[in-house]
Amino acid sequence: MNRRGSGCLKDGPGVIGRNCRRVDGIAKVKGSAFFAADRKIDGMLLARVLRSRVPHAVLNKIDARSALEVPGVVAVYTASDIPGENRVGIIVKDEPVLVDDRIRRVGDALALVVAESEEALAAALPAIKVWYEELPGIFSPAQAMAGGAPAIHGQGNIQSVTRIVKGDADSALKEARVVISRRYTTQMVEHAYLEPEAGLAAVEDGQVTIWASTQNPHYDRREVARVLGIGQNRVRVVQAPTGGGFGGKLDISVQCLLGLAAWKSGRPVRMVYSREESMEFSPKRHPCVIDYTSACDGDGRLLAVKVKIVGDTGAYASYGPATLKRAAVHASGPYQVPNVFIEAYCVYTNNPTAGAMRGFGVPQVAFAHESQMDLLAGALGLDPFTIRLRNCFQPGSATATGQRLIQSVGIGQTIEQARAGAVQLGVLGGKR
Amino acid sequence: MKPFRFTATINGRPVDLPVNPHRRLLDVIRDDLGLTGTKEGCGEGECGACTVLLNGRPVNACLVLAPEAAGCEITTIEGVAPEGGLHPIQEAFLEAGAVQCGYCTPGMILAAKALLDKDLSPTDQAIKTAVSGNLCRCTGYIKIIEAVRLAAAKLSGEGDAV
Repeated sequence: MNRRGSGCLKDGPGVIGRNCRRVDGIAKVKGSAFFAADRKIDGMLLARVLRSRVPHAVLNKIDARSALEVPGVVAVYTASDIPGENRVGIIVKDEPVLVDDRIRRVGDALALVVAESEEALAAALPAIKVWYEELPGIFSPAQAMAGGAPAIHGQGNIQSVTRIVKGDADSALKEARVVISRRYTTQMVEHAYLEPEAGLAAVEDGQVTIWASTQNPHYDRREVARVLGIGQNRVRVVQAPTGGGFGGKLDISVQCLLGLAAWKSGRPVRMVYSREESMEFSPKRHPCVIDYTSACDGDGRLLAVKVKIVGDTGAYASYGPATLKRAAVHASGPYQVPNVFIEAYCVYTNNPTAGAMRGFGVPQVAFAHESQMDLLAGALGLDPFTIRLRNCFQPGSATATGQRLIQSVGIGQTIEQARAGAVQLGVLGGKR
Repeated sequence: MKPFRFTATINGRPVDLPVNPHRRLLDVIRDDLGLTGTKEGCGEGECGACTVLLNGRPVNACLVLAPEAAGCEITTIEGVAPEGGLHPIQEAFLEAGAVQCGYCTPGMILAAKALLDKDLSPTDQAIKTAVSGNLCRCTGYIKIIEAVRLAAAKLSGEGDAV
């Protein structure tokens, strides 16, 4: 309900309350929307990445001489061809565009082949010789955090720690009627957007333009400029119609490699990932191990939660520090909890990189705090709606981080309506 | 490999061009003919983004070798709309909000067309079966099913009835 009364939004100007057609809808239903892989420029080259098959190794040498002899191959680029900085990352600059010293995951980019045809690319990739010395891999955060574990990056394997402390959780646990502790584990998830990553780059008048399937063109532009060692005014990134992202296209995929290839070769270059490459290389949802202790009084009112979240960010940080911070901030759920102790660790391993994915760490902790609420309800003989209604945020509640919620707190009403709907459908008894 | 002469009818027009026999129908459509409305999502027949109609039947163009499609009547998304307008299925997808990122949309529309060309009053189950080979990661499918239902109503002259 708005100030001008109900219905007026529908009658007034603008789009609120109306069915609107998407601005790009007609092109999309006609098949005339140009996604990145649909774009062609005369004289365009194609590119493909040679990726690591081992998860952890010291890279000693790459010999591309045989690949360069394949007819149609124009160039093979390695780390030494990068004119600027060979490290990218939205929060921490820890990921090489092309590996220069250490392989940290299966799928790390080792060399970039640029050729006139797909056939030449297919013949050239296996002709590149790579010498490396394999290192033991670390495949779980527990292994990575253990004493004496080899450091995947210089500063150690714990990338970030977030702590949220409110009141005195330990003392509150002692006074509680019910205390429940459980461990929850969540799995890695691939976004599987329908369009695999793709892009096209061209250099004209000393400026490189990159059309890419991306969610983050401004960031892409900064990274391409840093990697090429040129000013941002000489880099233009155009977001092509993007066939889904869900957070997974916030990181760099083809952008820097294409920028490098077009910059060095002087010709337009296109690269399209296969589904397999997309699955292997793109960031995932953080798998988490969550140790959760909840305590309540005899009426089911929460007295305290203690939560430890360990998220596996894989070989590179990507959005990991922010994802784990968000997981920590939301770990006590939509509930008023007077005493809180939360720790969230973002940990490097040699697994695929984890980054942004819809919800950003919150779905992982929601699984844990909601499971805990059901267990507490069960221990006290309450139904799952009742215990949530007794604890959920109200206008005026304070969150674990001390934010006072002064308006628009709809969870109580939502729970009431969900319960009424469930009763109406006959899937729930009417009793409390 | 020696090219063969690929002749077929695509969107009502005859085509005749040399094609290497190891190439997929998808490559012929996208690269040789420049009809990029047909999308590649997986290249292994799982996602349906490359759905085209082969003699009226929906197929994954990534799983059809070019020689298998020779002599056939092929419809791609570019051949669905009448000149200067939209097909009722395309209208329905826009009205129902069934288009988000748009990458599955061409394949979805062709899968829907294959159904509605034969059956103008499909059950919801028939609609679900018809698009069961087409993945969408944005919409959750509900609006796509609504769009096909709306398209059936439009095509059978029931106007805006859903």
